[in-house]
Amino acid sequence: MKALVFIAALLACCAGFARADYQVGDHLAKPAKPSAHGAYQEIDWDALMPKDWDPIKELKATDLGMMRDGDPRANALLLKMQELWEKAPVEASLDGKRIRIPGFMVPLDEAKGKVSEFLLVPYFGACIHVPPPPANQIIHVVPDKPVAGHHMMDAVWVNGTLRTIRSQTRAGMGMASAGYRLEAQSIEPYKQK
Amino acid sequence: MNLLRLALRSAWNRRVTLALIVCAIALSVTMLLGVERARIAAREGFSQAVSGTDLVVGARTSPIQLVLYAVFHLGEATNNMLWKSEQQIAGDPAVAWAIPISLGDSHRGFPTVGTTPAFFEHFKYSLGAPLAFSAGRPFSGLFDTVLGADVASHLGYRLGDAITLTHGSGGIGSVEHADKPFTVVGILARTGTPVDRSVFVSLEAIEAIHLGWQGGAPPPGGFSIPEQFVRKFDLTPKTITAMLVGLRNRAAVFHVQRAINEFAGEPLMAVLPGVALDQLWQVVGVVEKSLLAVSALVVVVGIAGMAAAVLASLNERRRELSILRSVGAGPRHIVALLGIEALLVTGSGAALGVALLVALSALTGPWLESNYGLPINALGWSVDESLLLAAVVAAGFAAGVLPAYRACRLALADGLTPRL
Repeated sequence: MKALVFIAALLACCAGFARADYQVGDHLAKPAKPSAHGAYQEIDWDALMPKDWDPIKELKATDLGMMRDGDPRANALLLKMQELWEKAPVEASLDGKRIRIPGFMVPLDEAKGKVSEFLLVPYFGACIHVPPPPANQIIHVVPDKPVAGHHMMDAVWVNGTLRTIRSQTRAGMGMASAGYRLEAQSIEPYKQK
Repeated sequence: MNLLRLALRSAWNRRVTLALIVCAIALSVTMLLGVERARIAAREGFSQAVSGTDLVVGARTSPIQLVLYAVFHLGEATNNMLWKSEQQIAGDPAVAWAIPISLGDSHRGFPTVGTTPAFFEHFKYSLGAPLAFSAGRPFSGLFDTVLGADVASHLGYRLGDAITLTHGSGGIGSVEHADKPFTVVGILARTGTPVDRSVFVSLEAIEAIHLGWQGGAPPPGGFSIPEQFVRKFDLTPKTITAMLVGLRNRAAVFHVQRAINEFAGEPLMAVLPGVALDQLWQVVGVVEKSLLAVSALVVVVGIAGMAAAVLASLNERRRELSILRSVGAGPRHIVALLGIEALLVTGSGAALGVALLVALSALTGPWLESNYGLPINALGWSVDESLLLAAVVAAGFAAGVLPAYRACRLALADGLTPRL
C-alpha cells in the first residue's frame, strides 16, 4: 500500500499536473514600490501607458447611466474605444531602458519544449478568451536564446532591454503598428510572495 | 561486502522466480517510459511543425480543426475561403507575408498542397528553421511539382519523374487526374514535420486539373481538356482552403486576429497556431494522463508481484535466515539482505526495461517518424524519465523491505526446529 501511494505521489509530480490557478482577468500583484533589481528597473504595466493617454476618455464623456443594455450608442462607443486601444501610443522615454516586469506568457514560437518568442500580457487569459488589451499593454518578448520549461499563460518575470516600435503612417488591419519589444536577457518563474 | 555476496548467492539459488519478476518489472518499465516518450514525441512533433506563422486563416470552424487541416493535413476542411479575401489580407500593410494553401487531392496517400513559391521562402519550422532543397528547385511551370522528403524516399522518386494526382484522399473509388501528369522538379530536405509527407504544386495547377469538373466529379463521358489547351483558360484560383500569415509587428497579432474575425467580405477565422495547439493538448491531456495512469498501474502490478514473491520466499528461506541469525546476524542484517535483493531485482528490471525501450525505439523510430511524424529519439534521455525510473526503483525497494519486518519477527528457533 505504501508503495502504491508513493509511486502515485511521484507520478503526480512528474506528470506536471501543477498549473498556477489563476482566473481569467487576474493581474499579478503590483510591487509595493518599484525597486532597482540589479541592472534592471522594476516597472509595472501602468508605466507602459503614456501619462497623458487616457484609455477611457471616450467613456468619461458619455453618461453610461442614461443607456440601456444593448443600446446601439453603447455598442458604437465600445467599437470606438476598441479602435483607440488598437492605436494606443507607446511611452517613448522607455526606449532602451533595462526593465524587469511580471506578466503572463503567450508563446508565439515553440519547439522541443522551448519557447523562442512570446507575448507578455498583463492579466491571465488576456487575448485568448477576451478582447485584446490596448496595444501598449502587450509586449513582444524575444529572449537571447530559447527558454525551456514555460507554457501558455505561465506567470513570469522578464528582465531585458525595452524597445519602442514607432507607429507607421499606413496602419493595416488591427491598426496596431506601434508597440513594445523586449530583448530579454533572463526569464524566471513568477512566485507569489 | 559479505552481505552483498550472501544476497547474490541466495538470489542465484532462486533464480527462476526472480528472473520472471525481473522480466515483469522490465516490461512494465518499458511500457511506462514508452508511453511517456510517445507522449513527448507527439507534442514535439506537433509543436515544431510550424514556426514564425502568426495566424492561420480559414473559413469559420473550430480553431483546433483549422490548424489540424491547414498545417498538419489531418481531417477534412469544412469550407473554403475566397481567393479575393486572401488577396485582400495578403495585401494589408500589417501583413509581412502570406502563404495560401489549397488541399483536397493526394498522390498515393500523400496529401497534395497547392500553394505559391512563397511557401518555400517563408515557411519555417522548429524555432525558425527554413525549408531547404535536397535536390532541384521550387516549382515554376504549371505542371511542376516539389516533393517532401518522405514522399520521395518512400516511393523512390527522383528529379524528372512523372506523377499523377488523385482526386480526394485516395482509396477505392477515387478518380485519377491521369490526363495531366506532373514532373518532379524539386525534393525538399527532411524536416520531421508534415511537409515531409506532402506533394507541392502551384495553385494554378490545382485549377488546371479540375477544369470542367462539376461538384467534385469529373466531366461526363471521359471528356478531358488536353494539356496544351489548359493554358488558354483563366487559371486564377477562385477559392483556397486556408492561408498562413506572418505579421510585420508580432505584438499586433491579437488586433489583426480580431480584424480578420470581423472581415467584411466573408465569414473568416484567424487563430494563433500555438493557442490552438494548447487547446488541443487540453483535450488530449485527459487521454494522456489515463494512459500514463494505466502504465503506472502496470508497474504497481509488477512490484506487487515482487513483494508477493519475496513474502512467499520467506517460508522457503526460513532455514537460511535462521542459520544466519544463529551465527550472529542481527535484524538489521536481515533487513539489509532483503533490501539488497529488492534493489537488485528492481534495478536490473529497470535496466533491462530501459535497454528494451532503447532497442524498440531504435528499431521502430524511423518507421514511426515517417508514417506518423513522431520524432522518437532512441538515446534521448529526459529528467522526467529519470524521475519515473527513480520512482519505480524506490517503490520496488520499499515493497521488498516490507517483508523484512515479518522475517525479523520469526523466532530464532522457528527455522531450526525440524517439522514433521
